Amino acid sequence: MTQPLLEVQDLHTVFSTKEGWVKAVDGVSFELHPGETLGIVGESGCGKSVTALSIMRLQRPGLIKSGRVMFKGEDLTKATEAEMREVRGREIAMIFQDPMTSLNPVFRTGWQVAEPLRLHHGWNAKKSLTSAINMLGKVGIPSAVDRAEDYPHQFSGGMRQRVMIAMGLTTTPEVLIADEPTTALDVTIQAQILDLLRHVNQEFGTATILITHNLGVVAGMCKRIIVMYAGRIVEAGPTTDVFAHPKHPYTWALLRSIPRLDAERHEPLKPIDGLPPNLVDLPSGCAFHPRCAFKIEKCSRDVPALQRVGDTQLSACWVTQAGTELKGA
Amino acid sequence: MPESAVKPLSRAWTTADPLLEVSDLKVWFSVSSGVLQRVVGHVHAVDGVDLEIKTGETVGLVGESGCGKSTLGRAVIRLLEPTGGKILFKGSDISHLRGERLRALRRDMAMIFQDPYASLDPRQTVGDIVGEPIDVHHLAKGKERQDRIQELLRVVGLNPRFVDRYPHEFSGGQRQRIGIARALAVEPSFIVCDEPISALDVSIQAQIINLLERLQSKFNLTYLFIAHDLSVVKHISNRIAVMYLGKIMEVAGGSQLYRRPRHPYTASLLSAIPIPDPVIELRRERTILQGDVASPINPPSGCRFRTRCPRAQEHCAEEVPPLESYGDEHRAACFYPLD
Amino acid sequence: MIGPSRVAELDMPGAAIEGASTRPAQSYWNESWERLRANRIGMAAGILILIFALIAILAPVFSAVLTHFQPQTIDLSQTFSPPGGKHLLGTDELGRDTLTRLIWGARVTLGVALLTVAVSLTVGTAVGMMAGYYGGWLDDLLMRLVDTVLAIPAIFLFILMSILFRPTPVSLALIIASVGWGQVARLVRGEVLSVKQRDFILATRSIGARHLRLMLRHLLPNVLPVLIVAASLGVGQIILIEAALDFLGLGIQPPTPSWGNQLTNAESYFFHSIWLVNFPGLLIFVTVLASNVFGNAIRDAFDPRLK
Ligand SMILES: Nc1ncnc2c1ncn2[C@@H]1O[C@H](COP(=O)(O)OP(=O)(O)OP(=O)(O)O)[C@@H](O)[C@H]1O
Ligand SMILES: Nc1ncnc2c1ncn2[C@@H]1O[C@H](COP(=O)(O)OP(=O)(O)OP(=O)(O)O)[C@@H](O)[C@H]1O
Ligand code: SF4
Ligand code: SF4
Ligand SMILES: [Mg+2]
Ligand SMILES: [Mg+2]
Repeated sequence: MTQPLLEVQDLHTVFSTKEGWVKAVDGVSFELHPGETLGIVGESGCGKSVTALSIMRLQRPGLIKSGRVMFKGEDLTKATEAEMREVRGREIAMIFQDPMTSLNPVFRTGWQVAEPLRLHHGWNAKKSLTSAINMLGKVGIPSAVDRAEDYPHQFSGGMRQRVMIAMGLTTTPEVLIADEPTTALDVTIQAQILDLLRHVNQEFGTATILITHNLGVVAGMCKRIIVMYAGRIVEAGPTTDVFAHPKHPYTWALLRSIPRLDAERHEPLKPIDGLPPNLVDLPSGCAFHPRCAFKIEKCSRDVPALQRVGDTQLSACWVTQAGTELKGA
Repeated sequence: MPESAVKPLSRAWTTADPLLEVSDLKVWFSVSSGVLQRVVGHVHAVDGVDLEIKTGETVGLVGESGCGKSTLGRAVIRLLEPTGGKILFKGSDISHLRGERLRALRRDMAMIFQDPYASLDPRQTVGDIVGEPIDVHHLAKGKERQDRIQELLRVVGLNPRFVDRYPHEFSGGQRQRIGIARALAVEPSFIVCDEPISALDVSIQAQIINLLERLQSKFNLTYLFIAHDLSVVKHISNRIAVMYLGKIMEVAGGSQLYRRPRHPYTASLLSAIPIPDPVIELRRERTILQGDVASPINPPSGCRFRTRCPRAQEHCAEEVPPLESYGDEHRAACFYPLD
Repeated sequence: MIGPSRVAELDMPGAAIEGASTRPAQSYWNESWERLRANRIGMAAGILILIFALIAILAPVFSAVLTHFQPQTIDLSQTFSPPGGKHLLGTDELGRDTLTRLIWGARVTLGVALLTVAVSLTVGTAVGMMAGYYGGWLDDLLMRLVDTVLAIPAIFLFILMSILFRPTPVSLALIIASVGWGQVARLVRGEVLSVKQRDFILATRSIGARHLRLMLRHLLPNVLPVLIVAASLGVGQIILIEAALDFLGLGIQPPTPSWGNQLTNAESYFFHSIWLVNFPGLLIFVTVLASNVFGNAIRDAFDPRLK
């Protein structure tokens, strides 16, 4: 096994709100290896974005209460702001869900894409622009020389997302964090962008963290997957194994609740009862217990830790850790 | 049933006839610009749609953003006035109904909206919201009205004790249930569901889909189910209509459409939908569509899909392909269909 | 029919009946009120205005019980008495009791302000609502009318009107409102246009609601917060306008007392009888300040996004 490129260790990020502390990220640990594609899935509000933002130290107004983010032997949570600026955009790039608002409307697109090069490599305008145009071409923007002169509003949503990706890639970062990069796009455009990300991963060897709530997207994109629920990781493992035999009741139930395009017959979906929890007032013990079909008495009392279950997977569940297989009608 | 809003055309309509028959429907919006707001063109949002919906069935409508799904849905329940074409509902022409007759028609159709936050009046209580259709059509008063509201809430799986809560106190899925209760309050036979689950949490979507299915079989409802997620549409629909730039490209039964799409657009749409199974995903062949949807203000001549179609030929630019039958309720509009 | 019988047979497996949280129902109005109440300074300002209003309403009682003078009782033997003694706040050049005149003046000043606000809100809301809701040519027509009204230089209009009408409190209120409604109409139209876009309006149309219901049950409650804010911020402005007109002799005519016209006379006696300037001036200042503070508090309470 290679040395991990990025190691998140027991990360806790909180927000102060009127109703109390929101534990948006509550003890998250994972590793990212060079060139790997890692998927983070979970429902809205489970802490996916805050995890990513905390890695980049962009979590404000949130507060990183404890934990470490080891990147190339350095703890990013302890780095100075100046050091972080060096890391951001140069070594770890991030692209966001909303390609409409992530670009500045008053600057020409080429200029913006070239910005990280001027900033981090100190290149002049001409050299950085040439490189930016080259990159725009690589992410599939037709006639990139001309389009670099255009303003962001002259691009469609999918094109803007390509521009964002190009901007992230100019400095050939080692890690690319894509936070729901296709959620705002149509399926056909989503397919284009996912294809581009696959291509980027292969051509540049960029390790990619793909954040999404779409299980189909991770299935097609990621070698390894992390499932989050209420600020915690509930399951992690190789994508094929997690999908084939989930070791956490939440993953298990989620997979059964979504309709599949390739379903042979019409079978009623099996929904997960109840509601996603309120992060200010988490259920005691396992946060999933009010909605869990497998819960035992202990579940509402003690918080299960993320532990090895089976050969390749990790799960935070008392029942599967005790060896029970997840089955049911 | 409410008294029929309109006189039937010739012979009496029966449930064996299509509930809704849309022919050559057009809905255009004018685009104006400049200080004088001169009309400079039209958005051809819906541009010649033929569609039939039978009693008790669910027809799914899929297509990319902006292709005219919502506009079509709103036009068939006459929230929009068609620019051209005809809408027959229960055998009578409702295309240009107005005034009291249109109001009477509203008792027979309803709509469920995408955004559970925007579609409920924030200043009204749940009781007001669900009770409003009852008041508007004078369906019940006093105690009877209260009972009705409570029943409706129970039907959609909400606690009837919360009639005097406000929408902002509920989660997205619960709000969507309130919207469904409101739609049911007029006792409609036809409901347009405009992306009813797209705004909901993944784990809540199945709850709402199941609820809609259960209500359909209990109350014999007919749905036009709009979504951009083909897997959801395939799950809930008997037949699926695929729309592109204001026109229907293909109509077929769900599994037929999945197994044997005839139209190149349908095929690429299907191949773009991710399947939550890494093994299948790994083996899948992808045809990735290039480019973006063309402008609905100046749609391409001939076949509208030709600017992105991998099979396009010269002829495609010259003539509009008609919807042709491929047997068994399967129709597609393409000169060079897949086989 | 979806009646009780149908419901009874409807089994809902798995769909546990869901409810909201257990805290009591919170309407928008409740919450706004809670926020307003939490704003100490704002509440103090509001209470002050309320006290002034009460005093104004009870003016006859006060002059009978407290000051024992009528506002127009002339006593030439008591001109320019300084504050203290029989005349708590002194007298003016005709020996009229200042306090009594201030109390009765509050009646006129606050009354005019209230009436002005009421008239401009009613007319402005009706016009703005119609324009925004119906749109099209009606919108064009009404908004051109509003543009015209707002283009008239208000001060000349006031001068002209007061020469023509010889203002009473009611006609003065109507004169000021004849310009004020335009602003309100614009505000309401803008708000209606944005609320109209929201899906719940379409949803209400889809159940067959008539125009009147849409406007009164849905649009009005949703534009009401803006109206309340506009009204509470408008009061101070109107008091100032009214005082200025009175002061210039274009508003309420003596001998009817108003805070503004009490200042008119006072100006000539500024050097030897300063109380004639101080007290009405102070009252105007305090009232306008209080209504601005209260108006801001209301705005914060009703629209927490602005904070
Ligand atoms: N600025 C903030 N102040 C208070 N709470 C916040 C803030 N930002 C995020 N949160 C809370 O942190 C939690 C996690 O948010 P996060 O954005 O990481 O969710 P997510 O998993 O990315 O969801 P989504 O799929 O909706 O993007 C949420 O419950 C949210 O309410
Ligand atoms: N009131 C309107 N005025 C002008 N253009 C409109 C109006 N409503 C819709 N359109 C345009 O008509 C086209 C079809 O819109 P419609 O909302 O029906 O698309 P849709 O398929 O429902 O898309 P989505 O998936 O984004 O909801 C779009 O180009 C849209 O911009
Ligand atoms: S720990 Fe208990 S409640 Fe939590 S997922 Fe496992 S079985 Fe369910
Ligand atoms: S008609 Fe031509 S352009 Fe249109 S879908 Fe068929 S092959 Fe493609
Ligand atoms: Mg997020
Ligand atoms: Mg739509």
